[in-house]
Amino acid sequence: MGYSRYLLRRLGYALIVLFVIISFNFAIFRLMPGDATKMIIDPMFTPEAKAELRRQFGLDDPPLVQYVKYIGSLAKFDLGLSFSTRRPVINELKERLPNTMVLFLSSFVLTTMIGISVGVYTASKRGTFADSFVTGAGLFAYAVPSFWIQLLLLMLFGYYIPILPIHGTMSAPPPDGFFLQLLDRIHHLILPAGSNVVIAFGSWALYTRNTMLEALGQDYIVTARAKGLHEKTVLRHHALRSVLPPIVTLIFSALPGMVAGAVITETIFSWHGVGKYLLDAVMQQDYPAAQGAFYLIALAVVTCNLAADVVYGIVDPRIRVGEGGAK
Amino acid sequence: MSKNKTQTKIGAPTFWEQYRRKPLGMVGLAIVSLYVFVAIFAPYLTPYTPKEILLADRIAAPAWFRSILPKFADAPSSVRISLGSQEWTVSEAVGGGLAPAESDDSPLSVIQFEPFVRDEVVSEEEIDVLEVEEYPKEPEQGVVTLSYTLPYNYSAPKTFGLTFNYWIEAPSDSKTELEFVIETPEGKRYSLWGKSASGQLANQPARIDSRDLSLKQRLGMTIFDDPAPRIFSSRGDYSLLLIARTIPGEEPTRVYISDPEFYIPGTVHGLLGADHMGADLWTQLVYGTRISLSIGLSAAAISVAVGTAVGIISGYLGGVVDEFIMRIVDVLMAIPDLPILIILGALLGKSVWNIVLLISAFAWMGTARLVRSQTLSLRERVFVEAAKASGASDAYVMIIHILPNVLPLVFAGMVLRIPSAILTEAALSFLGLGDPRVATWGRMLHNARGFGAFTTLAWWWLVPPGLAITFLSLAFVFIGNTVNEILNPRYRERS
Repeated sequence: MGYSRYLLRRLGYALIVLFVIISFNFAIFRLMPGDATKMIIDPMFTPEAKAELRRQFGLDDPPLVQYVKYIGSLAKFDLGLSFSTRRPVINELKERLPNTMVLFLSSFVLTTMIGISVGVYTASKRGTFADSFVTGAGLFAYAVPSFWIQLLLLMLFGYYIPILPIHGTMSAPPPDGFFLQLLDRIHHLILPAGSNVVIAFGSWALYTRNTMLEALGQDYIVTARAKGLHEKTVLRHHALRSVLPPIVTLIFSALPGMVAGAVITETIFSWHGVGKYLLDAVMQQDYPAAQGAFYLIALAVVTCNLAADVVYGIVDPRIRVGEGGAK
Repeated sequence: MSKNKTQTKIGAPTFWEQYRRKPLGMVGLAIVSLYVFVAIFAPYLTPYTPKEILLADRIAAPAWFRSILPKFADAPSSVRISLGSQEWTVSEAVGGGLAPAESDDSPLSVIQFEPFVRDEVVSEEEIDVLEVEEYPKEPEQGVVTLSYTLPYNYSAPKTFGLTFNYWIEAPSDSKTELEFVIETPEGKRYSLWGKSASGQLANQPARIDSRDLSLKQRLGMTIFDDPAPRIFSSRGDYSLLLIARTIPGEEPTRVYISDPEFYIPGTVHGLLGADHMGADLWTQLVYGTRISLSIGLSAAAISVAVGTAVGIISGYLGGVVDEFIMRIVDVLMAIPDLPILIILGALLGKSVWNIVLLISAFAWMGTARLVRSQTLSLRERVFVEAAKASGASDAYVMIIHILPNVLPLVFAGMVLRIPSAILTEAALSFLGLGDPRVATWGRMLHNARGFGAFTTLAWWWLVPPGLAITFLSLAFVFIGNTVNEILNPRYRERS
């Protein structure tokens, strides 16, 4: 089975997942207890006004028609009107998506870079303090509630030693000048992104360390060393080569989890992003908004999964040659 | 597990022999035992219930701060005095007095005034003697003052309050006046409350709260003044005075005061302080153990049971069934679980049971995959083929031959599933999707964030729940890893 065939398979699979999520998304908000329209329709309205509102939100059609319309409008990225603001959901999401992307990408890049470097470093220092620190940090990352660490950091750097802004993506009003605005935004980014790094780098470091150690214990490494190859050459050309695929795979397969984790981070730091939007919408029973935000997050997750598959095929040649029974 | 024949030849006694030699495993076990103990004996470890509020001032600090932090050195803890008839002393009694109590701990005090008898027998001779102005004789005002001495040796409180119920039985021609006064050690008197009535008065409540605007006006203060720190500005013996004055009628006048409670909410309280409602944080922490343990254990058990069943069926039956089940697993694993839990949690309603079901619903897939791959290799083994050859049904083979052989794997997996269930529950509660009726650690953190822990720098509200979650999760990780090391040495690295 060739690589393109493999890719097609994964793509088809991603589409199926997306379809299931969309259907679920459609169904779940119609299974709501009570009538969704009660949220928006004021009891003081005239019957005509109520009917007009129902029509406007497309609540009068039979479910199947609604479903087809829903899928059709999703394809056009028409996510309906928010109950609470009466604005198109897609516009609200467009406003927030860049913020989420900035937070997500900066956290992600910093976490993986720091985590992997620390992991590679400690793999060569087995048994030292740095080594046990990483082991501890990895265990800690698994057991500690991440939102609690964020709350503690927020209290420490936002209130006890008030050097960092406590909420938002930028100051209001923003400072003049592009450069100052950029600095202001970075200033607001430090706490949310930094806390994400603190939470997650441990597990990355631990994983990298373990994978490295496993690779270094392999026979071909012993052989390479026995051949008298330079230690650097052994590490780069032999060990790292076999360590790369699992780590890259992990990078991409961790993406979905980090996308999903945005809800908590954004809520804690009042970050004007998609995750907070989802939670707020759910709390206000603003169904179109919640649906839209969930759709966007799910889309991101599915895309990340697909990207993981693609990259996995590139870094692990076995995938390209054939599936080899691995499923 | 003692019946395992093939994969792990470990009986229960041997298992324990090995387990007890692993220090981390034993530490984990000790921590979990401690939590279980706390969960079971929660009512005996806490002086209150999680539902009791107004035990102290909002966001009161832990009481032991007094001995370590100068800022709290003489902060008041809660003063709550029930003033029954035994507590009062009569400091002034003209024309009446305190009626004897019905019992020693009666919450009801009755002030009784003598009736004024207009037609006193006055002889003609006496009239001559008396001066004209003194006739006809007017009733004299009776005064009864009940007082209670309150020693107060702390820094000023933020608020105080008094509540009681009262009613008056009196003839219609009488006039009664009630007043509540606090006298400071310097002798300054603050009249906090008053009521005057002609004749009868039905049972009604009196509520004195130092934050009330009407009280501030009565004391001649502005809206921005705070009566509590002013009144309790010095240390020493304060007097709480309940004064009843009456112009008696022809029948006796009785003033009933029931269940008076004087309350100074403490700015320090208990082991861990109080939350925004004045509820005890230590109690919430202890009771939170119950919820976290039961949600963690049940969600892990349910998800692992479902995962095991699905994995065995999928792996053993193979073919279309296997393909179908595994595709469902793939799809479910691809759905971002926290967002979906938030949406479903809000839709299904906030209850502990819903949270358990939701967490389980999105946590069984990993187990299913693991068990399936194990089953795939098990079903090729000789003993399975022998069983099939001797006519055993699929169900029989799955339950009798496959299941016992995947159990060691499943058991360790279940223990390792508990921390993630606990963390997920805490995250959901923190986001405000938890059961509002029960105290959980996530909910404590939710309240801390939402109701002023940050602005008041109340780290003592924020730190304990997180630590409790962390230690419990760590303990289960230790146990799970140890079990894995013993039962499934080959899978050690994976978990």
